[in-house]
Amino acid sequence: MKEIIDVTNLNFSWGNNHVLKDLNLNLKENELVSIIGINGAGKSTLLKCLNRILKPNSGKISILGKELSNVDLIELSKHISYVPQSIRSNFSMDVFDVVLLGRRPHIQWTIADEDRDKVSKTLRYLNLEEFAFRRFDQLSGGERQRVIIAKAVAQDPTVYLFDEPTSDLDLKNQIEIMKRIKELISVPESSKSALIAIHDINIAARFSDRILLLHEGRIFANGTPQEVLTPKNIAEVFNVTSEIVNMHPNYIRIIIKDEINKNKKTDKTVIL
Amino acid sequence: MDSISRRHIEKGKTQLLMVLTLCIVTIFLAIFAMGQGSSTNLDMWTSMRMILGFESGTALQSDIIWKLRFPRILMAITGGIALATAGALMQGCLGNPLVSPLTLGVASGAALGAAFAIVLGISIFNDELAIVANAFLFSLIVVAIIIQLGNLRSVTAESYILVGIAITFIAGAIVSTMQYFATDAQLSQLAHWSFGSLSRPDEIQVWYISIAVIGLMPTAMKWSWDLNALSVGGDEFAISTGVNPVETRRNILILSALMTSVVIAFTGLIGFVGLAAPHMSRLIIGNDFRKLIPCSAIFGAFLMLFADTLGRTLFAPIIIPVGIMLSIIGGPFFMYLLLANRGG
Repeated sequence: MKEIIDVTNLNFSWGNNHVLKDLNLNLKENELVSIIGINGAGKSTLLKCLNRILKPNSGKISILGKELSNVDLIELSKHISYVPQSIRSNFSMDVFDVVLLGRRPHIQWTIADEDRDKVSKTLRYLNLEEFAFRRFDQLSGGERQRVIIAKAVAQDPTVYLFDEPTSDLDLKNQIEIMKRIKELISVPESSKSALIAIHDINIAARFSDRILLLHEGRIFANGTPQEVLTPKNIAEVFNVTSEIVNMHPNYIRIIIKDEINKNKKTDKTVIL
Repeated sequence: MDSISRRHIEKGKTQLLMVLTLCIVTIFLAIFAMGQGSSTNLDMWTSMRMILGFESGTALQSDIIWKLRFPRILMAITGGIALATAGALMQGCLGNPLVSPLTLGVASGAALGAAFAIVLGISIFNDELAIVANAFLFSLIVVAIIIQLGNLRSVTAESYILVGIAITFIAGAIVSTMQYFATDAQLSQLAHWSFGSLSRPDEIQVWYISIAVIGLMPTAMKWSWDLNALSVGGDEFAISTGVNPVETRRNILILSALMTSVVIAFTGLIGFVGLAAPHMSRLIIGNDFRKLIPCSAIFGAFLMLFADTLGRTLFAPIIIPVGIMLSIIGGPFFMYLLLANRGG
């Protein structure tokens, strides 16, 4: 399988806070990789480094064999589309026009019919056609999240970088969006792949080809969901006890039981 | 073609029609405004026929129309286009609907320059262009400082706004100090400059200003897509569509400052248009900068023409400066529009 992204010895710090430490990873074509870890583990930071939103302190990132820093930003946006956790919007547009922004790397000034049709097809594909001419700022959080995902899909990139794409979605839409993402990258001739930062380990277990478990800025475990999502790893990283059940033949399910209190205090002072 | 795509095209056509209507109304207003005046030997009907080429008129009448009234009308149109475009650009690149060309130090820089020329007599020119040259130069210097300091702090939109506010206070304090020590004549000149008037630049200057503004418009339009990405989704969203927010913001601020300075250096301070015209345009055209920039420009020209015509005719022969007139009529009208559309 062709290598799409290759990261070697990546380091990133916010001041003295060393977020990513000598991190190595690769992403191959038609692969859906989830990044999981506790808050502040560096999931979002890693995605932002891959999309040149943040500049790493050291290390090397290559996309399709080219060093990331040498790729023009427009060219890069043809290969990578990034969906942030949330977006700040002071001025709103119609949903159609927001999704059309995904075509921006491919067009100059005038919008070709193919670009409009690409947007229309994407809206239908993600069941957003009824929102096409509604204002983006009048949508709910979950609807907005789906629109931004639609923008990323309309961009037609090689790699999708999703930062918690299901955090605002209801249960049905979580499954639906993940199914669509999986479909998009599973087309053998498309050579697409996706890297998804996610908190829901059951969603990650169900849809990922591979899971990266980030802990303290390093990759703690890297492998299939069955290999990575073990009660031992989960306890070590998330401080919770868990049980793995195989209710479905194709994927595992994790039941979180209780927190592990590593620093048990016998004498608690409660201030009211 | 897909039915959703067809609907998008239809919506675009309707918006284009609205902009064209506004354009036609503005042209008619310009023609009407040129016919308005206190000259006794030139009634409005004759003026209109002369402007439209149906009548040549006497040499004196022709001079009144083309050498006195036309430069003023052209200045109103150009000034409106420049200030409204600069306002739309600044609001978009800083993602802040409260920003206008005069809020980011351009006005305070121009006022500082004018004060240096009027009170201290310091200018790079020693003739009648002293105030103009100082106002232009100082406003650009202030914007350059704001961009540099904004970059030092960080490169977010908020840094530019915060540094702009700080610099505005400092420049204001220096101007106030100069006013404190100025003579009555200097104070009067400074106050008169700050009112903003379209009759200050002469015919040749108006042509130069117009050529400069029209020349800068294609550059403004070039950044429409980038502004769409920046204003709708912020920096991270913009980067994901191939826009470099830091570079784009810096370039747009420089362009907006140039468009504003080239006008207010000659006319004095004219506020409101840069804030209101983009907002009024948004109400009919939405926030797509490919349409918003031209629509704001036309709205700006319309507002300036309207305010100037009213200012010249309402208490004729007394002329109320366009800057004052704009705020008097525009403020309440703007508030009405916003409240009437509060439901979106």
